[in-house]
Amino acid sequence: MTFKQIQHLYWRAGFGVNPKQLALLKHKSRKQIIDDLFKASKQVTPLKINTSGLDKISPKEILKNETIRKKVIEKSLKKIKELNVAWIERLANPKETLRERMTLFWANHFVCEDKNIFHIQQFNNTLRQYALGDFKIFVKVISKESAMIKYLNNKQNRKQSPNENFARELLELFTLGKGNYTEQDIKENARAFTGYNHNFEGEFKLRKLQHDFGYKTFFGKTGRFNGDDIIDIILELKQCAQFICEKVYRYFVNDSINKNHIDEMVYVFYPNYNIEVLMRFVFSSDWFYDKKHIGTKIKSPIDFLVGLNNTVQMTFKKPNEVIGLQKLLGQILLRPPNVAGWKGGKQWIDSNTILLRLKLPSVLLNDSYISLNEQGGFNDAFVQLTRRNNRKKTPFSVIPNWEFFNSKFKEIPCNKLQDHLLICKLNDDTILFLENLSKSSKREYCIQLMSLPEYQMC
Amino acid sequence: MKRRDFVKNTALGSSLFLVPSFVKAFEEVTAKTLGVKRLVIVQLSGGNDGLNTIVPFRNDLYYKNRPTIAIQKNNLLKLNDEIGLHASLQPMKRLYDNGYLSIINNVGYPNPNRSHFRSTDIWQTASNSNEYLQSGWIGRYLDNYGEMAHNAIEVDESLSLAMKGNNINGIATTDAKRLYRTSQDPYFKKVMRLNNEHLNEHNLGYLYKTMIAAESSAKYIYEKTKTFSSRQAYPNNSFAKQLKTIAEFINSGLKTSIYYTSLDGFDTHANQSNIQTRLLKNYAESIEVFVKDLKENNTFRDTLILTFSEFGRRVKQNAANGTDHGTANNVFIIGEDLKTQGLYNDIGSLEDLDENGDLKFEIDFRTIYATVLNKWLQVDDKVVLNRSYNQLDFI
Repeated sequence: MTFKQIQHLYWRAGFGVNPKQLALLKHKSRKQIIDDLFKASKQVTPLKINTSGLDKISPKEILKNETIRKKVIEKSLKKIKELNVAWIERLANPKETLRERMTLFWANHFVCEDKNIFHIQQFNNTLRQYALGDFKIFVKVISKESAMIKYLNNKQNRKQSPNENFARELLELFTLGKGNYTEQDIKENARAFTGYNHNFEGEFKLRKLQHDFGYKTFFGKTGRFNGDDIIDIILELKQCAQFICEKVYRYFVNDSINKNHIDEMVYVFYPNYNIEVLMRFVFSSDWFYDKKHIGTKIKSPIDFLVGLNNTVQMTFKKPNEVIGLQKLLGQILLRPPNVAGWKGGKQWIDSNTILLRLKLPSVLLNDSYISLNEQGGFNDAFVQLTRRNNRKKTPFSVIPNWEFFNSKFKEIPCNKLQDHLLICKLNDDTILFLENLSKSSKREYCIQLMSLPEYQMC
Repeated sequence: MKRRDFVKNTALGSSLFLVPSFVKAFEEVTAKTLGVKRLVIVQLSGGNDGLNTIVPFRNDLYYKNRPTIAIQKNNLLKLNDEIGLHASLQPMKRLYDNGYLSIINNVGYPNPNRSHFRSTDIWQTASNSNEYLQSGWIGRYLDNYGEMAHNAIEVDESLSLAMKGNNINGIATTDAKRLYRTSQDPYFKKVMRLNNEHLNEHNLGYLYKTMIAAESSAKYIYEKTKTFSSRQAYPNNSFAKQLKTIAEFINSGLKTSIYYTSLDGFDTHANQSNIQTRLLKNYAESIEVFVKDLKENNTFRDTLILTFSEFGRRVKQNAANGTDHGTANNVFIIGEDLKTQGLYNDIGSLEDLDENGDLKFEIDFRTIYATVLNKWLQVDDKVVLNRSYNQLDFI
């Protein structure tokens, strides 16, 4: 594989690759590299934060005492912030790289939010567990997750008065896509999920008295269907494989669909719905490495932050700032905008977020200073002064670890840095612009590269 | 040619040469398509308790449902024999007495959602409650009638969904100078001059285009407003500061049709009375100075202020002397030439509630948007809202 192709694979299947890792990979074959990626993700390491402060609370206490209930909710929300920060840290230092990338993908597919730290943590780890597994089981497990039962109101879905929220989104967002079912399908579907509920610990419980055991007719089939039966019927439809493959393609390959590639993917995915097989096929396809896909996606805020950290490690003295940054950039993990999730692509970028993204590397890593030195001119005293003035104003308590950068990029000469930090194709003007920049400091040049629109691409 | 003219012409010529052609085109067109009217939108975030804001003091059900937080008759500013304003709203009462205030009661939408985020999205995108739109209604106004990001400004740190169009987004700023300084980093200025080849429809082209447009808007806002400073004494709170910024923007003649801002903290699940008293006081006092500021600069007659909250609160109070998330709520319209001054319609029934014990809405909020778009901003509301709605008659 070429150097560019490895970078491309690692940006899409992971969160980028540094020169040290690259040096280890460059003599391997494509198959070997892909095998290694999957092998490293065989394991599942759940993401868990310390919840000991909340462990001993009983449901009775919470129901009885409103003051205790309020306090518990407050603590739980705090813990969810901790989980957010822990997740970001995990993404920045993943062992199971591909699994973590897939988890992030599924979190924007099976979109969910909850105030209960135990339930949302469990949900998050379910995504992680099935991220490369059997999609058929995955959908069923998700339908029984306590956080999902609450989020899409299956908890309120009773035989006497069905609530269609989950049933509708199951078809529209999770499996078939809009326009591939009727309102009648939704009604019958909702009846099959009546009585879905959970206990305090977050385990699934079917409330039999609220469940509709009657006959349902769904996509031409009639029977006393329950939720799992409904999911089986949906998955028999090729449209479901089509819908998932298109979503995978948009996320991992290109914002716009290529019909032939999708056909190939559906052929691989249907009817077994093995996610690992599908992803292995995508990453092994020649078309995945086509130049028109390389560096043509806009990084998500999380890609951007994690990518930044993979080049120059950062430590935030106040972890809340990590959440503040996500907010300003427009993507807070565990806080999706709605059940449709983040749209991504160009939607990440507006007048404010573009300026923020261009400015952020210098603010976080270099006292808000971007050198403008072109070859020849250098005014050290002026730089020092600007730095000192900027430092006081810096709004973040971040400590950049440039030693990390120096060790990972040790073998890379300054004038080759752009090959590692910019993935997209550069036009002649940009190349000339970069050539004319002074390369006297690797650090300054690194900041300059990170402050370009090209750095936003992956 | 005289030397001085030559210098002037070449200087002008070279600077024009550096501005990408689409930005130039924007600046010329803008003046023609946007009217003179302005809309200021205020969101009371968290869900203001409308029932303790506009109070039906003759209604026994009101007192029965709210044994500890109901407001007694003699603590209200009476509008008529049945309805009174929260005592914090004295400044609003003065606007009301001058005919500058229209109160639309019972505003909501079908199948209400009681989540802050979701209901805010619904209000900001003007969607149905089962529909997920990725563009805001102001964003779609920009798509169709705006040309530059600064045609709609949000006075906040980041941009709300309301302000995001499919092609054009508004711009957010609390501090025009800071935004300007960020955008004017000498390094960025150089980068922006890189080949126009970038300005195509691909993702990277979009980034360059957005960057250049942001720089252009940041510069425009800063340069147009830097010499103007309000002379009014605004109250000392952040909401008042935001309104002051908007007044300065309006009074320095920015080509901005819509301003957006918010006041947060209305999610009063516990000990509501004190919190709401303070917030409504901040709101009303700031609005009154804002109106005064505009009047003295002759800009009030072309400005309409719309205040809403993502939902109202439950009729029955909870055990913590607060209220939980509800549905329909009141909307305030403030302006000089209102067609319906005072109460636009009656308060909703406290008897005929939905299954959660919440008010049933009477007026769809999108009919208010449609009215404002059509009658005030004088554009085709159907294009912006994707559907046709009835028009109301408050303007």
